[in-house]
Amino acid sequence: MKRQRVAIVEIAPVIAEGMATILGRTASAEVVGIYRSIGEVIPHIAAGRVDIVFASVALYRQLEECSELDDIAVVGIQSALYGEDILRRFNAIVTIHFSAEDIERTLNDTITAPAERSYSDSHELSERERDVLILVARGLTNKEIASELNISPHTVISHRKNIVHKTGIRSVAGLTVYAVLNKLIDSEQL
Amino acid sequence: MNKSINRAYLAPLSPQMKIFELVERAPSVLSIFSRLDIRLPFGDISVAEMCEREGYTTELFLALCSIHASEGFRPDTEALSEDILPEVISYLRASHRYYAEKMLPHTSEHLQEILEHCDALSRSMLRRFYDDYMEYIVNHFLEEEEHLFSIIDSASTGKADLSILDVPHADIDDRSNDIASLIFKSLPEDAPTKLRIVTLEHIYALRDDLRRHNSVERYILKPLVDKYLQKK
Repeated sequence: MKRQRVAIVEIAPVIAEGMATILGRTASAEVVGIYRSIGEVIPHIAAGRVDIVFASVALYRQLEECSELDDIAVVGIQSALYGEDILRRFNAIVTIHFSAEDIERTLNDTITAPAERSYSDSHELSERERDVLILVARGLTNKEIASELNISPHTVISHRKNIVHKTGIRSVAGLTVYAVLNKLIDSEQL
Repeated sequence: MNKSINRAYLAPLSPQMKIFELVERAPSVLSIFSRLDIRLPFGDISVAEMCEREGYTTELFLALCSIHASEGFRPDTEALSEDILPEVISYLRASHRYYAEKMLPHTSEHLQEILEHCDALSRSMLRRFYDDYMEYIVNHFLEEEEHLFSIIDSASTGKADLSILDVPHADIDDRSNDIASLIFKSLPEDAPTKLRIVTLEHIYALRDDLRRHNSVERYILKPLVDKYLQKK
């Protein structure tokens, strides 16, 4: 996999350096710079030198003001409590209590299937997400699900990301058990 | 607040520390004694004295304890000699036995107690999910042991394949979290809460221990094998 060029935007040097060290050790990231404000990183994004931004959640107002960030994944670095309305402005969140493995996994998840910023507050599955979950439990691939529901594979990936977020379950086997226990699917349909 | 106590807790673990002091500071290291079958000393001896008595390298023992005390700890492998590789592998094998013979079956017993209170469908689905999870972990260990043996055998000829050590235990971690989520969110309400809590505690303890095991492989075993091969 191509190494993703990550820019870190964080005011606290300890957090910025720590995050840079952890990301630098992963196989999938290369840290291209540490910046103290969103404004400092914009020229590098515009020049195509950055693939993903890791930015302090405290800078969420700056994030809103920069349309240059609309087409790039932004992972929030959370070091204090924030409401869901603020956190959902980021594609994913890492907290300062995350282990190195959790940070690496969040990075990889963001690379492979960036969630939409602004996901729903509700932890209830939407009707469409239930449809996708049932087909996942029946063993269909993303492409097959897309064809069955007449949506794009990218949208399927986005729904699956939301399903994982809402159920807390990642594996297909686990999602299948979830679907049966929650009576979304009859065990005979498996 | 007593500042000297705070500083002591931030200090690295040392060979001069008394064993009781070590355990008092990081009770999770007790499981290392258990998996290495180390006799708890009579009276109060130092870490170095105990390691000498038991035939373990003090620096390695302290690195293992430090990882167990703090998941984010990264040992200085420059200070460790590649000559201790057999000792590292012996620890990892003992750890595999500890999971296979103790932690996984214990968690399974607690899960079974909950399942007795569930309907037949929930019981069979969750039972199968946990059994698959156990089998997956044990098979993963077997595969690792084959590779670890091959490292010892082939390191001398410089052909060791270390790729398996680059793979984090992400799948295992995911499955541990999946089981916890299912027990937490999807069991019928008549499954007794106390049993659910005890089982969740076991599952999270297993997950956290496996993460530390993974750290030992990635941050002690792998650098030492690399070091050995570079010197060949």
